Amino acid sequence: MEPSNKLSEFSINSPKLTISLICIVAIVLGIITALPSIWPEKYPSMYGLKIDTDPENMLSKDEPIRLFHNKMKKEFNLYDMIVVGVENTKHKNGVFNSKSLNHIYQLSEYAKTLQWIDPKNKDKKIGVISKNIVAPSTVENIKSLKEGEILFEWLMSKPNVSEKEALIIRDKALRIPFLNDTMVSKDGKALAIYLPISSKDMSYKISQALENKIKEFSGDDEFHITGLPVANDTFGVEMFKQMFSTGPMAMVMIFILLFWFFKKFILILSPMILAGISVTYAMSLLIISGNTVHIMSSMIPIFIMPIAVLDSVHLLSEFFDKYPNIKDKKQTLKEVLKELYWPMLYTSLTSTAGFASLALTPIPPVQVFGIFVGIGVMLAWFFTITFIPAYIMLIPQSMLENFGAKTSSDNKNESFGSILKWLNQFTYHKTKTIFTVAIVMMIVAVYGITKIQINDNPVLWFNYDHKIRKADRVLNSHFGGTYMAYLTLESTKENTVAQFGIDVKNSWNKSLVHFNGIRPILKTLNENWSSYIKQNSLMTKSQLVDGFIENYLEKQLDQADDDSYEIFDEALSLLELEKSKEDTFKQPEILNFMSDLQSYLLTTGIVGKSNSISDIVKTIHRELRNSDDKEYKIPKSSLAVAQCLITYQNSHRPQDLWHLVTPDYKRTSIWLQLNSGNNKDMVKVSKAVDEFMAKNAKKYHLKHNWFGLTYINVMWQDKMVSGMLQAFLGSFLVVFIMMSVLFRSTLWGILSMIPLSITIAFIYGMVGLLGKDYDMPIALLSSLTLGLAVDFAIHFLVRARETVIHYGSWKLAKQEMFQEPTRAIIRNLIVVAVGFTPLLTATLIPYQTVGVFLATILTIAGISTLVFIPALIKVLEPKLFFNKNSKKMTYSSHVVIILSSVSLVVINLHQLLEISFMAMMPQAMIATFVLLMISYFISKKGRN
Amino acid sequence: MFRLFIIFITLLNTSFTKGVTVQEIIKRANLASYYQANDGKSHVKMKIVDSQKRVRKREFVILRRNIKKGGDQQYYVYFSRPTDVRKMVFLVHKHIKKDDDRWLYLPALDLVKRIAATDKRTSFVGSDFLYEDVSGRGIKADHHTLLKEDEKYYIISSTPKNQKSVEFSKYMLWIDKKSFLPMKTEYFDKSGKKYRLVEALEVKDFNGFLTITKSKVHNLDTGGFTELEFHKVKYNLKIKSKVFTERYLRRTPKEVRR
Repeated sequence: MEPSNKLSEFSINSPKLTISLICIVAIVLGIITALPSIWPEKYPSMYGLKIDTDPENMLSKDEPIRLFHNKMKKEFNLYDMIVVGVENTKHKNGVFNSKSLNHIYQLSEYAKTLQWIDPKNKDKKIGVISKNIVAPSTVENIKSLKEGEILFEWLMSKPNVSEKEALIIRDKALRIPFLNDTMVSKDGKALAIYLPISSKDMSYKISQALENKIKEFSGDDEFHITGLPVANDTFGVEMFKQMFSTGPMAMVMIFILLFWFFKKFILILSPMILAGISVTYAMSLLIISGNTVHIMSSMIPIFIMPIAVLDSVHLLSEFFDKYPNIKDKKQTLKEVLKELYWPMLYTSLTSTAGFASLALTPIPPVQVFGIFVGIGVMLAWFFTITFIPAYIMLIPQSMLENFGAKTSSDNKNESFGSILKWLNQFTYHKTKTIFTVAIVMMIVAVYGITKIQINDNPVLWFNYDHKIRKADRVLNSHFGGTYMAYLTLESTKENTVAQFGIDVKNSWNKSLVHFNGIRPILKTLNENWSSYIKQNSLMTKSQLVDGFIENYLEKQLDQADDDSYEIFDEALSLLELEKSKEDTFKQPEILNFMSDLQSYLLTTGIVGKSNSISDIVKTIHRELRNSDDKEYKIPKSSLAVAQCLITYQNSHRPQDLWHLVTPDYKRTSIWLQLNSGNNKDMVKVSKAVDEFMAKNAKKYHLKHNWFGLTYINVMWQDKMVSGMLQAFLGSFLVVFIMMSVLFRSTLWGILSMIPLSITIAFIYGMVGLLGKDYDMPIALLSSLTLGLAVDFAIHFLVRARETVIHYGSWKLAKQEMFQEPTRAIIRNLIVVAVGFTPLLTATLIPYQTVGVFLATILTIAGISTLVFIPALIKVLEPKLFFNKNSKKMTYSSHVVIILSSVSLVVINLHQLLEISFMAMMPQAMIATFVLLMISYFISKKGRN
Repeated sequence: MFRLFIIFITLLNTSFTKGVTVQEIIKRANLASYYQANDGKSHVKMKIVDSQKRVRKREFVILRRNIKKGGDQQYYVYFSRPTDVRKMVFLVHKHIKKDDDRWLYLPALDLVKRIAATDKRTSFVGSDFLYEDVSGRGIKADHHTLLKEDEKYYIISSTPKNQKSVEFSKYMLWIDKKSFLPMKTEYFDKSGKKYRLVEALEVKDFNGFLTITKSKVHNLDTGGFTELEFHKVKYNLKIKSKVFTERYLRRTPKEVRR
């Protein structure tokens, strides 16, 4: 008896106890999970269900880009935004009619009230940040009137405007560059309001409230709500609906298929229960351990279910085929378990390895996903060898009358008889055809892989017809764009205090010289300034300037006579002027450079609109110059720029300026509206900016940086792609080493990796050829492929090896191989591939993708296992079985395994500790050498 | 016994209010805050602090001249620091019976702009003070009610006669009984939430003219605040009327110095 089979032995002998134990643990886990989820305040020390739909969390909290993103959001007082677009295709003026504008007014006023008391801080309100709303009733119009008057006014100060007033509002807004194409569409027909929100996880609640409000309006206005936060939060909500609708639908589908195969209701209930328990255990553990249910972890059940079903179907299939001959539950189970124990353990271990390797990626949610799918797979294995036998034991013997395959000799009536027969013939006689097909497939696949486009876009996770997708299309066709990214610029050049001190003196000496009797005053002034700097060596330049003015210049001014007053007054002015030269973003040449950069951004075709301090200065300047279009430019001096900005700040919303520049004018932020949330488009824009800056920004000593959700998405995508690739390489090696050890031969190891390699190549080749983006769900599928595809190969090869040894040759062995073992694989293939088709009905694309790919993975893995492996066994038979009785490995196998192990360690270290590959080369080579020597001596000893 | 006490209190109350009507309190408060002496001058240091504790400073000199006590008056605001705003001038001719005339001189652009008078509740040079705080809100623009009074203050609630013209729904004043200076004003928005608070932090006596020398306005919406300090306060300087004309926008008058 295998040591391991003691578990199964126990469950066969004490089925009731086994099932009770499994159920009790499940109930306990359920309670521990449910209590703090339902009453979080009663069980504060326990972890309850926490949903997290924030893609920002794809990056760990201390990731530099995330820290920067949050710091900048705070510094510029920016928030994530919900965008509500309104169009009216019936009215000739679009939404610029009395009725529509009134609706928009009401909606904006209503949005201001969407605030709630923060449960964490009773003094704080969360929800819509009302003071930052961009809507006709909350933004200002600046305009010049007759007689050189300027005026700040609310663009739409009251509801119920007349038809004429509606058009005036439109024309005013179109004239303000900040609003044109942002709030009002260029064609003057549609309007968008921007609602900044305190945190992203409120956006679903807010958008629901807005939708309810919108329902009260009658008329032809069409409202569209979008923006990344809404997409993210809505995904979170719908993700749960999907989990609870498509999951059970898949289970029903699988149930029907199993019934078709095994015709025993009572028996096929067991894989369902098994899948259910495995998912419950894994998800409870996930929640209890304090992990959040993220977009990623919400897919854990979908991944555990097929794998759980796979194991139990193998077992049931064998039981089904063997039972009619043995007619004894206990005996049949024992035989089945004896045959399947190792393949099942190995398939589970390899699947687990595939998923657990994700724990090494630098993306927290992916780590959690990998670990808990791994746990789920091992749980499924554990229940397959304990729960299923116990369950079968509890079925009364009488209920199994007429159960099972008719007779093993009666080939014609068995399921898949003809397929099995064809496979038997074809794989033996047509090896050349098979290899040619395989090679052609691989070439096409590799070509496809080179075509892969890495891209993701959370909005595209919804169906084409989903209202969010629709809103996205409508709004991005009307406006600059609904995807926000922010480009910061800051000066890299700053004078030292010493240099500043000298500059000030130079300026005094040059500009004060025309005053009569200046010499002695100038001398004391210079001396006092120098000693002030010396005494206050720790002060910043601003502190020095303020301090010197307060402690020296103002006193001098108080005591001065009329003549010297002029001098000190001028000195003070010059001192400040010198200081203001460091206000980078008041300098006209820098503002003009920014305008150039902005026009250049428009040429990418992706940035539909950008807003910067430069636009503000130009607009104000134009209005100050009597609204003359020719004056839409940056004035010539930094003082003039500053006075334009002061004028701007004479408005109702002076704080708006600080969204675009810091009050010290050392850092600026350009608000970019992208018309696409595709990561590849954001990458294009950021590359374009890099180029432009490298070419044009040198003389201004500016450095640039990005923040904003659209950019954050790119950052985690980069990490995900490289992380997944390395995780995959790592787990590929793990599986290979495991296979080589299992079969005590690297040749067998390689053989078992073939279906998996072909499947992976095929899948990703197809992704490339079909032009489907390589996104988050697709990346995750590599580990699923690894887990599932190697499964069939293990089952087939373990059995093939035993059978060949038993019968003496493949020619004889294959007769048996193309019976039960093959049938089990085909049953599995159909159950999982067809069983998960309900996923195609999901409204969320990632779920559909998983559905399609599960079917493809299993079909390709099945075909390659059942066609390529037999053909290879035939050709390689002499090499595979040259030493049938030895359990020892050849030296060359040792070498390969050692090399793989060292590479595995290197890959993992690289990823975990972020050590470069080159840095690890010497150590890796030494380790390889030492291991090779040890292995050489051991094998030599063994031979002696 | 208890009833008697109530009657007593009520009597006491009416006797107090009998002495001074709301209209009178408001009128005297207006005179105390905006019309001290015939004219006046002060150096003002302004500190604007945002919710992130970032500080900006501005300094200016205010000259004021009454044409009629409680009636028309003129303000000349000359900015001296920082360089950005240096020599910028804000001139107001406040009228009781018609809209004020307001000019802004921007030296770097060499521009004199008239500021349209439609809305005076915009920010005063980017601070949390409003233009209306500088020259005062007309006492007839609101309905005033005396809510209560305690030992130190008359507490008055004021609601605008024209709700649409302003962003607040009401404000409450705490007027010092002795000086008639408003020591605290709280503004409430249309949803009834308190969003703005103006406080007088220091009052000094200048030859019998009680004057607020330190005041602070909190913007509860943004979390920022602005502080004003008045230095070198002087009254009855006999400032020439020509100073308050457009001609002196471009030419710094001697009066703003020192």
